[in-house]
Amino acid sequence: MNETPAHTGAHTPGTASADAAAAAGSRSWWTGRSGLVLALIMAAFGTYMLYGVLTMQVAEDADKPGPQFVPMVIAIASYLLAALLTIAYIRTPEAPVEAGGAVAGGTSADPDDIAAAQGRYRTFSDYASLAWAIGGFAGFVLLLEPLGWILAAAGLYWCVTRAMGSTKPLFDATVALTVSSIIYLALDVSLGLNLPSGILGGL
Amino acid sequence: MLDSLMSLFGGFAEAVTPMNLLWVFVGCLLGTAVGVLPGLGSSMAVALLLPMTFALDPAGALILMSGVYFGGLFGDSTMGILAGTPGQPSAIATSIEGHRMAKAGRAPQALAAAAIGAFIGGIVSAVVVVFFAPALADFATNFGPAEYTALALFAFVATSSVVADSVLKGLSALVLGVGISLVGIDSVSGTERMTFGLPGLFDGISLVTVTVAILALGEVFHIASRIRRTEHLTQTPETGRPFLSRSEFRESMPAWLRGTAIGLPFGVIPVGGADVPTFLSYGLEKRLDRNRRDPQFGRGAIRGIAGPEAAGNATTAMAIGALLALGLPISATAAIMLAALRQFGLQPGPLLFDRAPELVWALLASFFIAMIVLLILNLPLASVWASLMKIPAPHLYAGIAVFCGLGVYATSSSVFDLALLLVIAVLGLVLRRYGVPLAPLMIGMVLGPLAETNFRDALLSSGGSYATFFSSPLSIILYIVLAAALVYTMIGRLRGRRVGDIGGASASADAEAEHAEDQKVS
Repeated sequence: MNETPAHTGAHTPGTASADAAAAAGSRSWWTGRSGLVLALIMAAFGTYMLYGVLTMQVAEDADKPGPQFVPMVIAIASYLLAALLTIAYIRTPEAPVEAGGAVAGGTSADPDDIAAAQGRYRTFSDYASLAWAIGGFAGFVLLLEPLGWILAAAGLYWCVTRAMGSTKPLFDATVALTVSSIIYLALDVSLGLNLPSGILGGL
Repeated sequence: MLDSLMSLFGGFAEAVTPMNLLWVFVGCLLGTAVGVLPGLGSSMAVALLLPMTFALDPAGALILMSGVYFGGLFGDSTMGILAGTPGQPSAIATSIEGHRMAKAGRAPQALAAAAIGAFIGGIVSAVVVVFFAPALADFATNFGPAEYTALALFAFVATSSVVADSVLKGLSALVLGVGISLVGIDSVSGTERMTFGLPGLFDGISLVTVTVAILALGEVFHIASRIRRTEHLTQTPETGRPFLSRSEFRESMPAWLRGTAIGLPFGVIPVGGADVPTFLSYGLEKRLDRNRRDPQFGRGAIRGIAGPEAAGNATTAMAIGALLALGLPISATAAIMLAALRQFGLQPGPLLFDRAPELVWALLASFFIAMIVLLILNLPLASVWASLMKIPAPHLYAGIAVFCGLGVYATSSSVFDLALLLVIAVLGLVLRRYGVPLAPLMIGMVLGPLAETNFRDALLSSGGSYATFFSSPLSIILYIVLAAALVYTMIGRLRGRRVGDIGGASASADAEAEHAEDQKVS
């Protein structure tokens, strides 16, 4: 699974510029075709499976069909689906699912319609919000053990409230600390579930 | 027949201890509360409770979990009706018309139709389970690896192709799900697979991690990507004491019964739980509605709630019966319950009825109790549940994100699993963004190992001859039904394309598109 975010990330600039071009009113070839990232994910997943099959250390007395059989099937299927998805997206661009109106439901549509549907914003997805949410969770994962549950979870909570467009950072921070402390007290202290105490543990 | 009744009464005697009654009650309460929170569904509730139940005895644990599950289902649809944000795919069908009714100020009627529908569907299928599960278990003792392979293949193709609105996307999700389930030590040969030598992957990627990532955290990310770009619901929908007038009751009755009839068989057919029957029931009610003098669909049709809700609960109760009798989990939640049973050293399947009859019958008896408790609990309390919705969106989703982290960390105590959670949640976000169905992924993950093990066992015992897969009447029948379903959907799609009515080809595509529209408004 390790390669998925790398590829998603690598592809994002392409998606963003495509959507930007759509908003500018000029039809870009990429409009409605950013779904090619799905093909990329499938190809990457197939490669992961193939790599797994090739590097697998199988005992010689393993009965046939061995442990490589199903992974190989999945690898081939992934490559096949990647190819078919590529063809599908190149032949028929697709509007975002939530674009509503005439192009709802992910059916094929004229790129002009798609551009019009997306016209109000530069991109379909709100990357600033996403950065707060995903970054917040990444921070939580990295900081959970060094900082402890109370601070890390409060940080996650605060970042997600930012992502969701809250306008009261100080109030949010207060709520965040309260929530994470209550969870800590409820689970760690009363139920004996082990949550990391981190730097607050010594106090 | 008589044996089943006697056993059931024995089960009631077992289940109606003060302690077990308390567990049913607590389970229903907790499940509903969690289900009502948007983004948190019934399977999340069961998953998050899994670690806690090990402190109980097996019967108490299972009774608690089934209470949570049924409560969660009700909570899912309560939320779907009031806010248009169903907690689980199986509640989507209910939400479409339900949310329209709520916006039209008829939330109490919608909630009542859902609660009574859930009750009828659940009770009827519990009765069916009581009489048929032992027979089913007897029948299933004849199943060998070839039959189980056929069943799993059937589930794969049904969820990814027949039901999904794009075959390519459905299959992609399925392939990802099966692929994820391959990570870890191979159960047949003990070979380490796809781990890159990372110790955190030796035991595989846990179903809880994937469920939370795909269904909860991925959803939070998806909402974050859209929340500042869609219009928001400003006022809290009206709620009151749920009730139905006599004419509404008469209006709903046929839909409840039709929904139950649709839901029952799907408890045994492995197509991924209650999603399919709820959409089928929704589609049927909609089609019937079109021919009426005064079509209600689109304006908040009570039958659009009554049908799917009865179907969903009928499937759920049957599914737990089928899990006990066949050992085949047909939904993510059933898979979580399977994990719980295994923790107690019990292997669901044909032999469970002989080995642990007290447990099985106490669980079945607790279904009836849970249904009644839920009806009593939910009709008067709907407005209390609705007040949970007044939590402002940023804090609600922030809380859910924290609970996602908590749930996964609590079950695994590993930061590595949290990182995995994040990666898979980002994958879930991308899949959602491009309209890839998520149910095939979950089914692939749950049934992948079962399919693989049985496939290899079958070939082992036949000495490598593939003819073994077509040697029994049951597997041949399954393959024929599967081929017929594929041909039928293909014809339906081609014809649909000709008329230009793409959504009409599948009820779920239709419903999901409408749901997407609804979400935009809310």
